Amino acid sequence: MAKILEGPAMKLFNKWGIPVPNYVVIMDPNRLEQLGEANKWLRESKLVVKAHEAIGGRFKLGLVKLGLNLQEAVAASREMIGREIGTAVIRQVIVAEMLDHDEEYYLCINGNRDGAEVLLSNRGGVDIEENWGTVRRLFIPIDESPSIERLTEFASEAGFSGEIAERVGKIVSRLVLCFDNEDAQSIEINPLVIRKSDMRFAALDAVMNVDYDARFRHADWDFKPVSEIGRPFTEAEQQIMEIDGRIKGSVKFVEVPGGEIALLTAGGGASVFYSDAVVARGGTIANYAEYSGDPPDWAVEALTETICSLPNIKHIIVGGAIANFTDVKATFNGIINGFRESKSKGYLENVKIWVRRGGPNENQGLAAIRKLHDEGFDIHVYDRSMPMTDIVDLALNS
Amino acid sequence: MSILANRDTRVVIIGGVAGLNAARRMAQFDFLVNRPLTVQAFVYPPEEGQQKEIYRGGELKNVPVYSSLEEALAENPGINTALIYIGASRAYAAAKEALEASNIKLVSMITEGVPEKDAKRLRKLANANGKLFNGPSSIGIMSAGECRLGVIGGEFKNLKLCNLYRSGSFGVITKSGGLSNEAMWLCAQNGNGITTAVAIGGDAYPGTDFVTYLEMFENDPETKAVVIVGEVGGTLEEEAAEWLAAEKRRIKLIAAIGGTCQEVLPQGMKFGHAGAKEGKKGLGSARSKMNSLREAGALVPDTFGGLSNCIKQIYEELLADGSIKPEPEIDEALLPELPPKVQEIMKQGEVIVEPLIRTTISDDRGEEPRYVGYAASQLCEKGYGIEDVICLLWNKKLPSREESEIIKRIIMISADHGPAVSGAFGAIIGACAGIDLPQAVSAGMTMIGPRFGGAVTNAGKYFKYGVKEFPNDIPGFLAWMKQNVGPVPGIGHRVKSLKNPDKRVKYLVDYVKNHTSLHTPCLDYALDVEKITTSKKDNLILNVDGTMGCILVDLEFPEQSLNGFFVLARTIGMIGHWIDQTSQSSKLIRLYDYLINYAVKEEREVPEKK
Repeated sequence: MAKILEGPAMKLFNKWGIPVPNYVVIMDPNRLEQLGEANKWLRESKLVVKAHEAIGGRFKLGLVKLGLNLQEAVAASREMIGREIGTAVIRQVIVAEMLDHDEEYYLCINGNRDGAEVLLSNRGGVDIEENWGTVRRLFIPIDESPSIERLTEFASEAGFSGEIAERVGKIVSRLVLCFDNEDAQSIEINPLVIRKSDMRFAALDAVMNVDYDARFRHADWDFKPVSEIGRPFTEAEQQIMEIDGRIKGSVKFVEVPGGEIALLTAGGGASVFYSDAVVARGGTIANYAEYSGDPPDWAVEALTETICSLPNIKHIIVGGAIANFTDVKATFNGIINGFRESKSKGYLENVKIWVRRGGPNENQGLAAIRKLHDEGFDIHVYDRSMPMTDIVDLALNS
Repeated sequence: MSILANRDTRVVIIGGVAGLNAARRMAQFDFLVNRPLTVQAFVYPPEEGQQKEIYRGGELKNVPVYSSLEEALAENPGINTALIYIGASRAYAAAKEALEASNIKLVSMITEGVPEKDAKRLRKLANANGKLFNGPSSIGIMSAGECRLGVIGGEFKNLKLCNLYRSGSFGVITKSGGLSNEAMWLCAQNGNGITTAVAIGGDAYPGTDFVTYLEMFENDPETKAVVIVGEVGGTLEEEAAEWLAAEKRRIKLIAAIGGTCQEVLPQGMKFGHAGAKEGKKGLGSARSKMNSLREAGALVPDTFGGLSNCIKQIYEELLADGSIKPEPEIDEALLPELPPKVQEIMKQGEVIVEPLIRTTISDDRGEEPRYVGYAASQLCEKGYGIEDVICLLWNKKLPSREESEIIKRIIMISADHGPAVSGAFGAIIGACAGIDLPQAVSAGMTMIGPRFGGAVTNAGKYFKYGVKEFPNDIPGFLAWMKQNVGPVPGIGHRVKSLKNPDKRVKYLVDYVKNHTSLHTPCLDYALDVEKITTSKKDNLILNVDGTMGCILVDLEFPEQSLNGFFVLARTIGMIGHWIDQTSQSSKLIRLYDYLINYAVKEEREVPEKK
């Protein structure tokens, strides 16, 4: 799942003939003034300026400004660009035309197992949740594209009529084309607006998710997906992501502020179960972590050090299932080095470490980590005979 | 009994090195359950025509690599299953071709990062053709006692620990690969093991679902209960619950569902597999899945750790109602063991292997090389130099400070002697002909011999002989040499003479004799010889080869090592000449005609061949 920013989404809409308002993405407010000289719409329309970054709740943060003229838009961009929100810095703003319109519609396409489903309502806008009953649905099997006639009929079912039904049908067909050809996972346009005087449509606001795994067949994808965790990444998270990007196997790390139980867990499936066990037993997790696919020991060492430096942790859960091919001895070697390094830097004071793991070279790996006890670590090591997440119970009861 | 894979399963692996690794793991299982090799062929165009070596126990098998699936299937008609181990951008085409091949009934894909659309299309194609597409991101399928597809089950020891050599009564279906292995272990630890375990992969749209396999397990009389490991996202677990509730089912269902932690995570924060990306509350959430499965009659522990007791409970119920009989424990000692590698049994002292070579100077089996026992880094740290390493590797002892200084100076002084001498000229001709450094330097190196630089060893050897056999009898030594060897090696120079002495020789002799405390019997002897030979002829001086040879003998270097000093020193020069020529982009050298005396026959007619 990869959410993309409005700019790249609008570009893709344009490519597939989905009407969008005029817009520009800028990094330099002076550039907007120059663009104003070149583009009539910037001088003559009401404008909206939005921070073009992956930041949730932009409205509340004052990062969306509506109904501006060009001078006000320049001032607004000057004010936004360079602002720091948490660890994120606003580098770009998108300036778009605020189209005067008569009606607001809702149009959405979501992928599902057998294809996709189109959702359409003639009562879009901010009240869509309240008008959810008006939404009509159309299933589109994979690799099939419905005829314009069928889509116009669908628009009629959703309450559109006459020329508007035809035009909406056409926009749906382009949405399906865009969805299909751009390996999209979902596209939600709300509102899709119409100005009836010149029958002009525009997707005023849209959220688009693309399948980033498919990037190998999209030469024109010049964007990166935005953070999937609902906030900008922290520095530590970015460091681990950077390592993840250049190794065989993977290491992943997400901070959860305020938690007491740190997770240093293996495998995409098992690590989620460890988080669940902490929560189920009334604990709080300080992070999510995962290493899998037999990553090199230095990558696991870096992950270990990152986790050891989390503030206020009381336990570290070194958990994992019985690995298929991740070498326990080698990855534990990285963990052991990480623990030693962290201890020498003054971390791990009063932190209990709980270990449970199996897999290739498990005996050597477990024996090696068990020896940390002699070096003064508060460490408790269990092999495969201990049920996987029960070390969480032991930690929380200790 | 089992589902999906059994003793009749024969496999083609589409992919390169990861596929080969899987085939080797699969062959270990073949050996454990005593079945023929499961993998019959590879398809991987870059390695077409190769044979891949795979051990089934102690038996070495060769499995062919084909460039096309069509060819592989034509030559191996028994193949009915394809495993996809190729990269994400080519995985779709490979799986599609396999699903369209008439013999292949099951395609399982381990490839991760496959676009969702590709997976959806493959699922549709499989359904249309009445076949199964398992994966993407599937670690594989394991049928205990029958067949292993992929690396599922891990290392050989684990196969035994999980009772995978014989069938049990539990089916396993998981999204996660790591947890399929864990679940198999739990079924062995708390029950009697598995019939088949399938990893369907953690992607958003896997090619199969829990219900596909629940139906199969329901129809497999050996399977009495099924363990599923699901997670937040999608509706496959809810569908499994619906399936269970729909009618009376023979099999019992146990389910662990991951992702309840998302209820308490900050808004929008999600993690885990690609498929575990939706649903916080309501449909798709872990809680909803757990509830619907419980309502449908499945046993659902609140944590994964609780799975052990659930399996134990079901196992005991099955034993109690007579559905299964307790199997006698198999003595592990009776199970086959992978033949150990030679190194392992040598370590245990059970076999003697005669070494092929013996070394007395160097060992790099530790963290760093050790020269005659000394760690290279420590030598550096303690201020030793390259001349000390030369002594260690050539003479197996550390020299004194004075001795190593002599060695250093010998090398410095003989590192190069201009471009005109045979060695440098050879290297230069090579460089000008455009050949690479090692070849050009070797060309110069081949010049080293009796007439050029190669006299150090023999000079040292014969002067040492003289010291021993003809002390105080230089004429006797010269007479013996004349009779048995010929000219004295180390004596004589083409251009240098008494009047035009070789400065290098004078310098070396002066340095060693007047500035060091080295005892120099051999050098002294040679200088006495020189007095007599120069009285006969002006240029019969002790040359640099002879001087070096004598000093090195006095330093107690082994005789046969002495030429090594010239070779080593001159290598530095020859490399320099190669670099010099190539950095000037020197042109190919051709001798001018006027530098050649064409002493050949006059031009004449070729006679008819008789």
